[in-house]
Amino acid sequence: MLRNVYLKTLRDSKKSILFYSIGSIAIGLYVTLFYPTIRDATGFAEFIEQLPETLKALIGDAETYTTAEGFLNAEMFSFMAPLVIGTFVIIAGMAAIAGEEESHTLDQLLANPITRQSIVLQKAAALLTGLLILVVAMWIGIVSGSKIAGFDLSITGTTQALVSLFALGAVLGLIALSVGAVTGRKGLAGGIAAAVGVVGFLLDTFLSVVELLDPARFISVFYYFNNNDVIINGINIAHFSTLVAIAVIAVVVAVWRFERRDVFN
Amino acid sequence: MQETGTAAITTAGLTKFYGEHKGALDVNLDVREGEVFGLLGPNGAGKTTCIRMFLDFIRPTSGSATVLGFDSRADSVEIRKNTGYLPGEFVTYQSLTALNLLQYFANLRGGDLKLARTLAERFDLDLTRKIGELSRGNRQKVGLVQAFMSDPALLILDEPTTGLDPLLQQEFHNLVLEQVKTGKTLFISSHVLSEVEVICDRVGIIREGSLITVEEVAALRERALTRVDIEFGDAVLASDFAGVEGVVDVKVTDHRLTCTVTGSIDSLIKAASKHTVNKIQSAQPGLEEVFLEFYTDHGDQESPDVA
Repeated sequence: MLRNVYLKTLRDSKKSILFYSIGSIAIGLYVTLFYPTIRDATGFAEFIEQLPETLKALIGDAETYTTAEGFLNAEMFSFMAPLVIGTFVIIAGMAAIAGEEESHTLDQLLANPITRQSIVLQKAAALLTGLLILVVAMWIGIVSGSKIAGFDLSITGTTQALVSLFALGAVLGLIALSVGAVTGRKGLAGGIAAAVGVVGFLLDTFLSVVELLDPARFISVFYYFNNNDVIINGINIAHFSTLVAIAVIAVVVAVWRFERRDVFN
Repeated sequence: MQETGTAAITTAGLTKFYGEHKGALDVNLDVREGEVFGLLGPNGAGKTTCIRMFLDFIRPTSGSATVLGFDSRADSVEIRKNTGYLPGEFVTYQSLTALNLLQYFANLRGGDLKLARTLAERFDLDLTRKIGELSRGNRQKVGLVQAFMSDPALLILDEPTTGLDPLLQQEFHNLVLEQVKTGKTLFISSHVLSEVEVICDRVGIIREGSLITVEEVAALRERALTRVDIEFGDAVLASDFAGVEGVVDVKVTDHRLTCTVTGSIDSLIKAASKHTVNKIQSAQPGLEEVFLEFYTDHGDQESPDVA
């Protein structure tokens, strides 16, 4: 695990990856095992119909909410899964370059014959690997939960929703990595990435009810992540490509700026 | 003086500004291949700034540095492939054991731990402990081991003996001498003057970012001041010694002369031999006293006849 920067970075975050994976499986199980209770509850549809618009924006309409995919869409993909994944990737992204710099280990790493580009790319790859492990864990939790609870769930839809979640995680994590690589400041890296996530979430949910703000949802990463209700309608290639493009740009900017700036000591 | 014509490090007008603050100003340096070069100056003088530019951690505001024949900006990886580096304060991954750290760096360099183990044994370093648990001195040892372990052509050592006890300092000096025998170049920064005096061939003195002078240690020593105290069998006159070559600060009290001599004390001894000499004492010439004048801020009229 000390063969290169990529493996060393994974080695450093192995505990974090382990705990977040356990958490991801648990959430997947929890939501799916809870579903039958909602499905079988009487009067639930009426209850949802009476909710204010802002809350409906979050959980969708009653008819959809009581289907397995609709329930997962509301309970898993609109908030909980992005929160878990987002927290993990932002912390990993902050640590990648700015974290090493602030703990003064970057000089010594750079004293080795390795390009800065290679460091950024290996760190990014390690982040994406951790993210992939979490998303797979979540898939395992959801799918096994649906089997245990004994209801039909679209595996294709679930997988596609998780692919979209992966893209969202990549965007948030790589923005944190990129801001850290550009500025060398860990707090700023985490702050900006978290702001992109939180503001994106608000614009696509509660604030979308405000008519004035509705057009602004196009700048929200959550819009591209799941406005399409991926688990129900399948992945939207244009939306998915947008997320991939943002992630790629974040890495390109990180390499470009990190190669050209002074490293703090 | 040296036979080797090639330069290990050359800088041309190397300048670094941190905003308004100047880190290094128009530094022109030539470190010859195979020599031990000391960069000497008080803290904050620009030693570390220069070193970090050699390794491309920071970029010159203007000017350039060529290390081992490679441009510090364009071919930094080539430079770092053949350079061992020890920073002023060796900070690294606290949670790794010393062995893991050395393994990681050896992997990044495509080397093995053979030399590292030998060095660790020599410095009596326990490799199984975590970096974060090591004392400052032991951490510095890990730093030395990682700098030397790839057997690089050039070693850049920033304040290398900080935190080492005298015994280990001696061991470090031996190590440096061995490296020199195998043709290595060493670039050592220090603010401890006696340290560079022992191991360096030449020293450069840097102050407030500017390289003030570069001299052979031997030449500096020639200019070194010696304090001499002679007790005579009979009464002597100050005027007997006032005109002697190199002698200043003459003080005579009865049978006793104290004075300061620049360079060789030969003339003084010859003058003294006209009298009966009972006792002679001389203070070890230290470079400290020579350098003191470079350090003390006396305007712009410094650099006494640079050789």
